[in-house]
Amino acid sequence: MAKREFDVIGSTVTRKDAPKKVKGEHEFADDLQFPMMLHGRIKRSDIAHSRILSIDTSKAQALPGVKAVLIGSETPIKYGIVPQMPTEYAIAHEKVRFHGEPVAAVAAVDPETAERALDLIEVVYEPLPVYTTPEEAMAEGAVKIHEDNKFPGNIAYEADQDFGDVEKAFADSHYVLEKTFKTSYVNHAFMEPHCAVSKFDTNGELFIWSTTQVPHYLHRHLSKVLQMEMDRIHVKVTGVGGAFGGKGEVSNNELISALLARKAGRPVKVLYSRREVFLQHRGRHPIQMRVKVGVDKEGMITAIDYDGTMDGGSYGGWGLVILFYTAAMLHLPYDVKNVRFRARRIFTNKPTCGAMRGLGGVQPRFALESLLDQIAIDLGMNPYDLKKKNAIGLKHETVSGQVVRHCEFRKCLDQATELSGYREKHGKLPFGKGIGLAGGYYISGTAYTLYMAYKPHSSALIRVDTEGGVTVYCGATDIGQGSDTVLGMMAAEKFGLPFETIHVVSGDTSLAPFDLGSFASRVTVAAGSAVCKAADNIIDKLLPVAAVQLGVRAEQLEAKRGMIRSVFEPGKEIAFWDVVSKYIDAHGPLTATGDYTPPRRTGKFKGANIGHSPTYGFSAQVTEVDVDLETGEVRVLRVTEAGDCGQPINPVSVEGQVEGSIMMGLGQALYEEVKVGRDGRLMNPSLHDYKIPTMADLPELNTTFVESYDPDSPYGAKEAGEGPIQPVIPAIFNAVYDAIGVRFTEMPITPERVLRALDEKKRQEGGTC
Amino acid sequence: MKTLLKLNINGEDFDLAASPGAYLVDVIRETVGLTGTKKGCGIGDCGACTVLIDGRPTLSCLTLALACVGKEIVTIEGLSKGNELHPVQKAFIDKGAVQCGFCTPGMVLSAAALLRENDRPSRDEIKTALAGNLCRCTGYTKIVEAVEHAGQLISGEAHHG
Amino acid sequence: MHGQSFAYQRPGSLREFEALYASHGDNAKILAGGTDLLVLIKERLLAPRLLLDISDLPELKGIAYDPAAGLTIGAGVKVAEIERSALVKEHAPALAFAASNLGSNQVRWMATMAGNVCHASPAAETPPVLLAHGCELLIGSQAGERRLPIAEFFLAYRKTALKPGEYLKGFRLPPLAADAAVAYRLRGLRRAMEIDMINLGVYLRLEADGATAAEVRLAMGSVGPISYRAAATEEKLKGMTVDEAFLAAAAAGVAAEAAPIDDVRASADYRNRVVGVLARRGLTHCLEQIGSRRNKA
Repeated sequence: MAKREFDVIGSTVTRKDAPKKVKGEHEFADDLQFPMMLHGRIKRSDIAHSRILSIDTSKAQALPGVKAVLIGSETPIKYGIVPQMPTEYAIAHEKVRFHGEPVAAVAAVDPETAERALDLIEVVYEPLPVYTTPEEAMAEGAVKIHEDNKFPGNIAYEADQDFGDVEKAFADSHYVLEKTFKTSYVNHAFMEPHCAVSKFDTNGELFIWSTTQVPHYLHRHLSKVLQMEMDRIHVKVTGVGGAFGGKGEVSNNELISALLARKAGRPVKVLYSRREVFLQHRGRHPIQMRVKVGVDKEGMITAIDYDGTMDGGSYGGWGLVILFYTAAMLHLPYDVKNVRFRARRIFTNKPTCGAMRGLGGVQPRFALESLLDQIAIDLGMNPYDLKKKNAIGLKHETVSGQVVRHCEFRKCLDQATELSGYREKHGKLPFGKGIGLAGGYYISGTAYTLYMAYKPHSSALIRVDTEGGVTVYCGATDIGQGSDTVLGMMAAEKFGLPFETIHVVSGDTSLAPFDLGSFASRVTVAAGSAVCKAADNIIDKLLPVAAVQLGVRAEQLEAKRGMIRSVFEPGKEIAFWDVVSKYIDAHGPLTATGDYTPPRRTGKFKGANIGHSPTYGFSAQVTEVDVDLETGEVRVLRVTEAGDCGQPINPVSVEGQVEGSIMMGLGQALYEEVKVGRDGRLMNPSLHDYKIPTMADLPELNTTFVESYDPDSPYGAKEAGEGPIQPVIPAIFNAVYDAIGVRFTEMPITPERVLRALDEKKRQEGGTC
Repeated sequence: MKTLLKLNINGEDFDLAASPGAYLVDVIRETVGLTGTKKGCGIGDCGACTVLIDGRPTLSCLTLALACVGKEIVTIEGLSKGNELHPVQKAFIDKGAVQCGFCTPGMVLSAAALLRENDRPSRDEIKTALAGNLCRCTGYTKIVEAVEHAGQLISGEAHHG
Repeated sequence: MHGQSFAYQRPGSLREFEALYASHGDNAKILAGGTDLLVLIKERLLAPRLLLDISDLPELKGIAYDPAAGLTIGAGVKVAEIERSALVKEHAPALAFAASNLGSNQVRWMATMAGNVCHASPAAETPPVLLAHGCELLIGSQAGERRLPIAEFFLAYRKTALKPGEYLKGFRLPPLAADAAVAYRLRGLRRAMEIDMINLGVYLRLEADGATAAEVRLAMGSVGPISYRAAATEEKLKGMTVDEAFLAAAAAGVAAEAAPIDDVRASADYRNRVVGVLARRGLTHCLEQIGSRRNKA
């Protein structure tokens, strides 16, 4: 690979938001105050499944200081992030489907008054049976959670995909292993609770400030639910205090703040408590998966058969999309010719599951990487060898038609195992100590919008002005991951200007051109491409002007280090800003746009649109654990990650994505689980009892990248925010197997489960003696 | 019924009115208008609302405003001297310890309090001192590195940058 | 979650506080650190009319050591001060360790050990180690003072022996004999910010022979409605030779005397098992401490 030299790309610049953030100056939605602003609070059901017979709000309305009260019958328009299947209301309408669902909302002069008013609202319910597991919801005779659902048994949607000849492949296999895995009900647990402030101006236009990943989808939903034209709605993304998918669809508080603001005629802020964050949820789907893998004598995978039941919670959300992503993410990063996928998403009376970092991938990865580990061990192979043999090469097309244009997964496997000494240590550590390997991958954006529009997925406008400097306008949303920095760095590199001089305006539906949002690890590739194209278009305008000044041909010029200069003749150069000035003098304002549309690949089967991505990121991880055989405590000592994210644009930010992913996966593997009572009530909706890792739980993390450059990506970059979480959980589980010889198939691995498993193992070993 | 009270915040006296049940975090954010102090849980589980009271890291969501009369309160806005950032703030920027920025103010103040006690903490001491500040973005690694670096800046063993 | 209505007073002296507390009876609650009390109020589990803030009363401050009386700690001392105190580290290192495992650093700078004890949560960090130390509580009231062994303090789940108008004024930990040591062991899911699934304080004193247990105290938390001592096991271990059989008897004994329940943090079964492991580890740690002290001497 040719050595690429960049001035900005690949260097560690200071994020422009960092100095503001360390001083507490970065503005989040709850930091906003407006004159006459009211505080909205939400009355939530204390029953998980029921018809609403009546709601009496008269006492609440009479309370001094209350300015508006809203109930579901006033907003009976269904919506959903998947527009073909709307299931939700801003406030429960006619029926309540989970414990803690909004049933009314109040706007009052202060939060205390609003909360007092909630206590005065009387709701009469007619209880229905509560289903907290898919088994209960699917049982014969179960009441339909959604009456208009066309599927039986509370199935929200089902999927079946077949590729190759699975039966024949299993019949021809040397070895087949089948196990059932169960993943847990986990929450994003971002630090900033949801908050939205809505304000109507005197002309009746709505301005909403919210902590969201998807201003565009919020824009569309507001238009639908409030029955307003989109051009009268202005969505402004504030600081986003973490999201991880949890702010990746419209949240009730956003709609409620707008509805209350319209009703009260005053600005309204609706801030969630931490408990409400757990009720809004949209966390990872628990899936029970029966997975079967066959291999030949050499350990080459012959077939995969998957049957999964996803617990979707009460509403649709992203569920349909995630169902099909689970199918798409089953076999990569391995080359598998025969695949069968059967799955269904089930409605239950719990807070709704949805998009959470690495959606669709984390659960099947857990099953597959565990099974491959076990198969290798059963065949007497090192798991590294088996995985390396099956790993896809630089380019690949899956049986389902996904085109991988660039992959360095094999390098990831090599680097992670070399740096950690995996091949020497695996199977040889003392009892109680273990080492595990897992691989994974993720998309860098999707191929389709949810509503199948043909418009570009990302667009950017760049304005270069002698007074205002360089401004990049792009609707992409910086949710803390640093995408504004990445886009600014790309523009800086293109123009040959210092990063510090580039302004980025993002996350605003009125100011910035269209972008789909920050999800599916799409921003660096999609918005980055749009920004690069816009910058190229600016340069195309500048070079002829510079060429005239320098007396050279325009195609021999480049923008570098503040100059526009000849590639061939040192000294033939002119300052960038002089050229800009001359351009503007002659032609007027200097602006250009760029856009990006991913390849619109598909296939001829249900769900074939899903899983395609312009490019994919890969990673391999090796994890070392220490198991306390007496207390059952599993301690992760060290994680070595080797990632293929293409060219890291800002390496420190990429490392931050990897490290955050590892700790999030570690939490799900060992500690985290939202617990639900039989009545559907959440048992631990707090950061005290829902246990995300603390700094004290931090192992040694060794984050590395493999040499990689996707030539078709902007500056060679691929995703980095969701791929690295894929291997975390199975690497821990495989390490625990290596430590104590117990194959856990259910998460989290609590100390109790470890002790029970050790007992069982002892009993079995004793029995065979 | 509100009571009049005088709070010393970042070296300045503020004459305020607050009800006895008002928590410091709300008074700082809403009455005084210093919104750098964040509210992530409201019941002392996340550490985002950490401020320094008489130099000690304190959860402002579990502190009554009235209980702070006569004490020195330092919020994130008061840690730097004007535009001159505190070494912890510099180190957080230099080491890439900032992502979404919501836990950052509390994290920075906890780190500043630790380094005031001990400017050469071990990694374990850092982890113990900051375990009450939850962060979901960074995976903590770069924060630990930043605190170590800040200690070096304070003890004069390293230079900014 | 926003402010609820109660009155707040910060008495200027202990006498003033005692008078106020006596006159307001059950309507008043004592505010020291607030890390438990204010959470209960915010979650509407408590609705006092008046909070009496004693956190700055100088009479309740201070940690002192006297070779005859032992270690005394005022009720107003913050957990973080206990964690850092050179006197505590020297004379009650297990207490310093338990203190360092309570909540977060912020909570430790806010909370007092008196609050931790008076809230009488069975999962509280400091009661087991105080029980192991044979701590004596100094209880104040307008009527005067009384002393109470901490073993008699916890009556039932979140219920203490404090009578109306009484408050916890301080702690006295008797001096440890040269052949005695205290250890504290705990298990949470994470390594910080935990309500323990189980915790245990151990006291061991050896006979002059260095091989026979003269006295053992085993105080358990999170295995019943209160923190309490495994009295029958303690009795049984007395006079035994300190060997593997002794450790096994201790482990089996505490497991038998533990009466845990299943809750959101751990199952009864797990607690029953691990309490024995902690007893064994705690006793082993005591033996190491005594041994190293002997070696030095």
